[in-house]
Amino acid sequence: MKVSTKGRYGLRALVDIALNEEGGPVSLIQTAQRQHISLNYLEQVFSILKKAGIVASVKGAGGGYRLARDMDEITVREVFEVLEGRFSITDHDSRQLDILGKTVKNLVWDEIDKRVNMLLEGKTLGHLVRESRCRERGSALFLTDEKSQK
Amino acid sequence: MKISTKGRYALEIVTDLAIHSDQEHPESLKNIAARRKVSEKYIERIVKALREAGIVCSIRGAKGGYCLAVQEDRLTVYEVLLASEGTLVPVDCLIQDPDCGIDPGKCLTRSVWKEMWNAITDTADEITVGQLVKEISMQSKVAIDNVVDK
Repeated sequence: MKVSTKGRYGLRALVDIALNEEGGPVSLIQTAQRQHISLNYLEQVFSILKKAGIVASVKGAGGGYRLARDMDEITVREVFEVLEGRFSITDHDSRQLDILGKTVKNLVWDEIDKRVNMLLEGKTLGHLVRESRCRERGSALFLTDEKSQK
Repeated sequence: MKISTKGRYALEIVTDLAIHSDQEHPESLKNIAARRKVSEKYIERIVKALREAGIVCSIRGAKGGYCLAVQEDRLTVYEVLLASEGTLVPVDCLIQDPDCGIDPGKCLTRSVWKEMWNAITDTADEITVGQLVKEISMQSKVAIDNVVDK
């Protein structure tokens, strides 16, 4: 049970755009370099994200991509569903389910789907951006601490 | 990113055994296969994995067959899935070195996948096979009552 590279790289690149768009549209070339993703692949993923209304492209010199909406209004669930499809821990079961099969589905598979989807719904690109900034600040503090000790 | 039929059927087999067998009355693979609408060959492969994990035991002899090796109330869905499906990790970089060139400490999206993994394993860990059996017996009573009412 794995998330494909499309979902993994796509989400990571989006957070990268959100982190860096303050100075204007972000060039996909730079995102590709920072995130170690091939530019070609990233262009394909971003054409999907653009169609879905998650990013917008800005043409011309200094052009690139920006988020189509506020980062706090784009949930990870929306991005995930565009790139990976709706999260479901199992595929459709073609068997006619008896009481046992139905109970296992209701109590286990549907419950896992519900909880994971709630989790993805509750997380936005904004959360991930702030998380990353906190982490950077934390490691910067750590570095200055080390220096002052020397 | 799915739990395969192997994990799905494994949970059904274990629940089926909890209902239809005990040490004195082991159940045959043939009967399980008929109830689960899954080929006996496939059931056999899954039961082998469950036996190796110490979840199911086999009893030899003319009236031999299979039964649970552990108490159903102490057996969690997570243990059954771990034995049949392996780790339920949604991205490999949570358990091994990443192949994407990003330092895990700086990854912008690692927390999403970690929390997704937690949601899946926590849910599976909270549900016991015993709970499934109780719910099935309740649902079966409702089904019988409905038939009688008609």
